[in-house]
Amino acid sequence: MVPKKTPRRWRWIRLSVQILALLLFLYLLIGSRVGATTFLPGDLFFRLDPLTGLSAMLAEKRFIAPMLLGLLAIGLTLVLGRVWCSWICPLGTLLDWTNLRRRYRNALGHLSQWRQVKYLVLLAVLFAALLGTLSLVILDPITIIFRTVTSGVLPGLNSLTTWTETRLYRFDSLQGFLDGFDRFIRGHLLPAAEPYFIPSLVLLVFFIGILALNAIRPRFWCRYVCPLGGLLGLVSRVSLLRRSVDQEKCNSCRRCARECPVNAIDSEKDYTSDPAECTLCLKCVENCPTRAIAVRPQPQPAEPELEGLTRRQVLGSFGIMLAGVALLRLAPLLRGTEQRRLRPPGSSENDMMKKCLRCGVCINICPTRAIHPSGTGADYDGVWTPMLVPRLGYCDYICNRCGQVCPTGAIPKLSLSDKQQTVIGRAEIDEDRCIPWAQGINCIVCQEMCPLAEKAIELDDVTVTNSEGLETVVRRPRVIIDRCIGCGLCEHQCPVKGEAAIRVYPGDGEGQHQRRGRS
Amino acid sequence: MDTIDRRQFIERMLALGGTALATAALLSLLSCSKEPPPEPPTDNITPPSLPPGGAAYLAVARGESPTTLVQRSVSALGGIERFVKPGNDVIIKPNICGSGRTPEYATTTNPEVVAALVALCVGAGAKRVRVMDLPFSGTSNDAYDNSGIAEAVRNAGGEMEVMTKMKFQDTPIPHGQIITSCHVYQDILDTDVLIDVPIAKHHGNTLLTLGMKNLLGVVDNAPSYHTSHLSERVVDLNTLVRPHLIVVDAIRILLNNGPTGGNLNDVKRMNTIIASHDIVAADSYGATLFGKTGDDLPIVRGGAKRGLGIMDLASIKIEEIAV
Repeated sequence: MVPKKTPRRWRWIRLSVQILALLLFLYLLIGSRVGATTFLPGDLFFRLDPLTGLSAMLAEKRFIAPMLLGLLAIGLTLVLGRVWCSWICPLGTLLDWTNLRRRYRNALGHLSQWRQVKYLVLLAVLFAALLGTLSLVILDPITIIFRTVTSGVLPGLNSLTTWTETRLYRFDSLQGFLDGFDRFIRGHLLPAAEPYFIPSLVLLVFFIGILALNAIRPRFWCRYVCPLGGLLGLVSRVSLLRRSVDQEKCNSCRRCARECPVNAIDSEKDYTSDPAECTLCLKCVENCPTRAIAVRPQPQPAEPELEGLTRRQVLGSFGIMLAGVALLRLAPLLRGTEQRRLRPPGSSENDMMKKCLRCGVCINICPTRAIHPSGTGADYDGVWTPMLVPRLGYCDYICNRCGQVCPTGAIPKLSLSDKQQTVIGRAEIDEDRCIPWAQGINCIVCQEMCPLAEKAIELDDVTVTNSEGLETVVRRPRVIIDRCIGCGLCEHQCPVKGEAAIRVYPGDGEGQHQRRGRS
Repeated sequence: MDTIDRRQFIERMLALGGTALATAALLSLLSCSKEPPPEPPTDNITPPSLPPGGAAYLAVARGESPTTLVQRSVSALGGIERFVKPGNDVIIKPNICGSGRTPEYATTTNPEVVAALVALCVGAGAKRVRVMDLPFSGTSNDAYDNSGIAEAVRNAGGEMEVMTKMKFQDTPIPHGQIITSCHVYQDILDTDVLIDVPIAKHHGNTLLTLGMKNLLGVVDNAPSYHTSHLSERVVDLNTLVRPHLIVVDAIRILLNNGPTGGNLNDVKRMNTIIASHDIVAADSYGATLFGKTGDDLPIVRGGAKRGLGIMDLASIKIEEIAV
């Protein structure tokens, strides 16, 4: 594949591919949320990502057919090398664009042993998965970018937009324009419901941290940390197409070594590169003044310049993960007080740990913003797994979208009528805070909100002495526990300030699918 | 190293303390510039005017076709032209309280009734006819679609508007007694013609939801109105938001388990439409469908007391139409 075109063109071709991939990623993210029929599955990137697929299969010890699409990415890498990283990966693209440093400090040593870290991270992810915890998949680049965009960037954009619009709307002359703008953007680019997520800031800081690492080395994340990069790097050692340098043409100007964004080119070794590190961005090809560099098929597997992982490292990391997972599992023993871990309808705690990729697809699609990334609310073992926070958003009675889009079945695909019978939790009234109970004043919001045909909240007319000392008849709410499915609308809408006076707690059998009326 | 003696230390501390005190005093003086106290509520609320000519004050139509009932009752009031002038911007506010129910459960306004009103307004030359409500559960679009209202309105030449955050603005209620301001949808206040189209149904707190209570859907914090004095707050809101025409949908009414219903046994078919420009009169008549009077409903009673309209049905001209 000797470029017959002007080498400069490669930059534009690569840029176009990157932009297209990024746009496709965002299109699928937003398209699946607004319920548009996208021409590709909404979780395409998670399926293409071999690391998420492999981890999910290791954790569950079964084949997950849709995830076999990851073989496509492996196949691509076998032929073209680690192109995923500099042509497709949306995180890689953003890292490319946020590389503000003009001149790379490639003089600072060629291959550092730190590059091996990403293989260790990869091993950690896979071993942890094998031991049944998917927590480390949060380091997968696709989950990082998806989670950050859904739960960090979009909420940020949304609140900025709302803030600006609300202020500008006071000017009559702008109202027409704002009206059109708002209709255009809401429910499409921005979610219809106001998205607020507890850990938005944490996610953003983590993401900005990854970008900021560019300041130490260009594409620091891809070089040293990324577990997916590690996986593809292992594969690309035997890839068919590799970079080759025509020694007769090379005038040792060092330019390629200087320009290489991942510093894969060794000036000491005739400007050859380690195929495990080279992402085929073709910068060297387009910058070579003598056109000595080309990418061509090479039947012999490359000799990796870096020592592969030693047996000792592999065994060592397995041991560390064993200890680590055991320690993570200790957390529930310490927990005790954590009683409010509500999961999306139908998913058991066990499924959540074993199947959830922490991808955030469910969080993205939930129209009423019930589902939140857990942070540590679900232990370290369940970090970024989806949790329901009814005070911020409730499970809409006529919605079952989360189960339909979950790529691994961590949230089961329930029909709407099944979902409407599935117990998420049970509402309990806090009689010390509830307005009719504590103050003798009628309220009834929880009762009127309850979406069940046979309401799970009934009102009792009781004669009480109210807070002013007067005898009065008040309508006091009472939860009929066997009817309640824990959708959380009552908790969400409870007009008591601060913590709601009616709250949903997990049903009695944690980790069991419960049907209504069979507590 | 510089050293200071005790005297110097005390002097400096005094100076420092004095400066701090003076600054604090100055700052507190500055922040004392209070806003003028809100004017005491004046109850010079404009009452609904008398209808022109021989038109009815309140019209009740009974019959099979909701569309015809709307047309006949509005024409008894003097025709839609009395309310909508060519080029007017019209907002119709039905009750679309949640996303979970289809029309036969009588929890959301009958789509045919809404569509008939849209068609009338369009026919009268309205520039734009928008239909909106703020459901308390589910997304607006789901609620609009499930209620059947979205499709009916579009076919009739109107548009559905999702009530968007930016248009809810803090607005004083000059006549408010319990609440003196609210976070209300500005277009509802700014539009040329506001038509309130509640469905008559049961409610656990205010006993019934009719025209006045339906207007709680134009603020974005309705649950917080329930913390105390719900009825009085609704009346206060009604002193600010004054619809020009009220059409009570009693095609089907919900007798129990309101406002969200879900049980067809609670639904009663009444095939009735009540229309008036007086929200108190319309609600007072609506109460009779449930075997109550306006006086039984704190909201209607409060509205009459505050001069928002006439509760006493014997003192107004009612035209009953059988179709």
